[in-house]
Amino acid sequence: MSGLRIQAQHLRKQFRQSANGVLITAIEQLDFVIEPGEIVAVVGSTGCGKSSLFDVMIGLQAPTAGRLLIGDREPYRDFNGFRGLIATVFQQDRLMPWRSSLDNVCLPLELIGLAPDEQHRRARGWLERLGLAAFTDAYPHELSGGMRQRVAIARAFVLQPAILLADESFGHLDEVTAAELRETFVALARECGSTAVLITHQLEEAMSVGDRVLVFAKPATVLADIRVADWPAERRGELREAIQLTLQSNRCDERIARLAVQQPADAVIEQLGARDKHEQSDQAIKANGR
Amino acid sequence: MRPSAAAEVVISGGGWRLPREAIIALLVLLVLWELASRNAAVLGVPAFAIPSLERIAKSLITVTWVDVVVTVARVLGALLCSFALAALIAIWMYCVPRVERYAYPLVRLLMAVPVISWILFAVLWFKHVEFRIGFVLVAVCGPLFLVDMLSSMKGVSKELRDMIHSFRPSTSQLFRKLMLPAILPALLTSWKINLSLAIRVVTIAELVGAVTGMGHQLSVAQELFSVADVFAWTLVLVAVLFALEAVLNQIEARVLRWRV
Ligand SMILES: Nc1ncnc2c1ncn2[C@@H]1O[C@H](COP(=O)(O)OP(=O)(O)O)[C@@H](O)[C@H]1O
Ligand SMILES: [Mg+2]
Repeated sequence: MSGLRIQAQHLRKQFRQSANGVLITAIEQLDFVIEPGEIVAVVGSTGCGKSSLFDVMIGLQAPTAGRLLIGDREPYRDFNGFRGLIATVFQQDRLMPWRSSLDNVCLPLELIGLAPDEQHRRARGWLERLGLAAFTDAYPHELSGGMRQRVAIARAFVLQPAILLADESFGHLDEVTAAELRETFVALARECGSTAVLITHQLEEAMSVGDRVLVFAKPATVLADIRVADWPAERRGELREAIQLTLQSNRCDERIARLAVQQPADAVIEQLGARDKHEQSDQAIKANGR
Repeated sequence: MRPSAAAEVVISGGGWRLPREAIIALLVLLVLWELASRNAAVLGVPAFAIPSLERIAKSLITVTWVDVVVTVARVLGALLCSFALAALIAIWMYCVPRVERYAYPLVRLLMAVPVISWILFAVLWFKHVEFRIGFVLVAVCGPLFLVDMLSSMKGVSKELRDMIHSFRPSTSQLFRKLMLPAILPALLTSWKINLSLAIRVVTIAELVGAVTGMGHQLSVAQELFSVADVFAWTLVLVAVLFALEAVLNQIEARVLRWRV
């Protein structure tokens, strides 16, 4: 399955805290376009709204304002329309403890109603590719953290999804395992042609995976949009430093500012159509003035 | 309301093998019993009140198994009905929060009603004996099942729920693939507790108009002043409970073998 375009248009997400009714802005204003088949890393400090974006992209949360489009549909509104198209790898493996590795990997295929034989054949194939051929019948508690995350990766890829989303999926593993899994993940995503978004708070991780790195402010807006290939290997140190400073100061460092993608406000408004035009044009003006 | 202490004893006594300590304790009890029986006069108790082991054994031989079967059938039938009913309502309450807000206080109310009141209501409202017994058991066990099921469904981790939702399951898939297996351990515990509760409640319910069942035989024995028979039937009741517990433990060991 080839990838789909992901587009955030003036995306905003707020939560009302149940305890005191205070309104929290998790996503201030997001505008970005991720092209089909692109592999993009999103980096931002803890609590900047990365997981909130993740939830909106999966369709578990509705945006407060603006839109998030996958292809030309919204994952929240058209929830069931995305069956079989989106797969996720979460921070924790989130395997079902009562299912063996094989049965865990079969889950997404069961949900789309594939024949059991075919489910097993595909799931076995992916477990083998991830080096778990000897562990198909093992229960999650019999596997190490790294192996469990491999099962979770197999469970995502078995769908050959158009969209692959990973939220801090490797952060809790030791460095060697994390690097290995990250590499596998990116290689497989490229092979599948899926559009992949990897969310992380670790700069090193972000720089090592993506075609692009989106740097988020807190609350989330795109501070910088960096095409890694634009930076020759000898200037990577400088790039790292610039992103680091950007993350720390919550303001885009000058060295990367000129690369940040500026979307013309008119184009955005056109895309959004007449709905909420008034409010959105206000926001677009604000965004442009930034 | 929940007989937790009793349930613990039963659960630990439910395995196939008895630890040595349990056997010794039982033997000591038997010896003490026999001693008490032989020295009833010294203790100031009439001799028939503490029948000898031999006398109880004789009564045990005359136990009518059809009564045992009838009572067990009543218990299992009522538990299955309670379980099915509770499952339907619990799923409804889980899916529609408004239903839960209205229904939950009523369920708590039902749980606070004493067993003896249910028995009196059953006598007042229903003629048919089987229906009376079934009503009492369902009224006592149903709400317990319901509350256990609802709270365990709510306890299913948000992590797993989000995970499966990201794959877009249908409602029936959600319950079959996630909810049911996730709450299975809690369901089995709930079954054990309700089983021991139902066995004890059914005997009281059978006192009202029933002409079969262990509760009825107990009341007959009492009317005839046959203390040995009372003891024999009590022993059978306890044994039946332990046997059913053991079956549940076997099922548990099989379906929960994935647990560490
Ligand atoms: N369901 C929620 N209810 C209330 N506040 C939330 C909820 N989810 C996230 N938030 C808040 O939104 C902000 C961003 O959270 P999150 O998206 O998890 O950040 P990140 O993943 O970047 O660490 C935090 O301040 C968090 O407290
Ligand atoms: Mg997060």
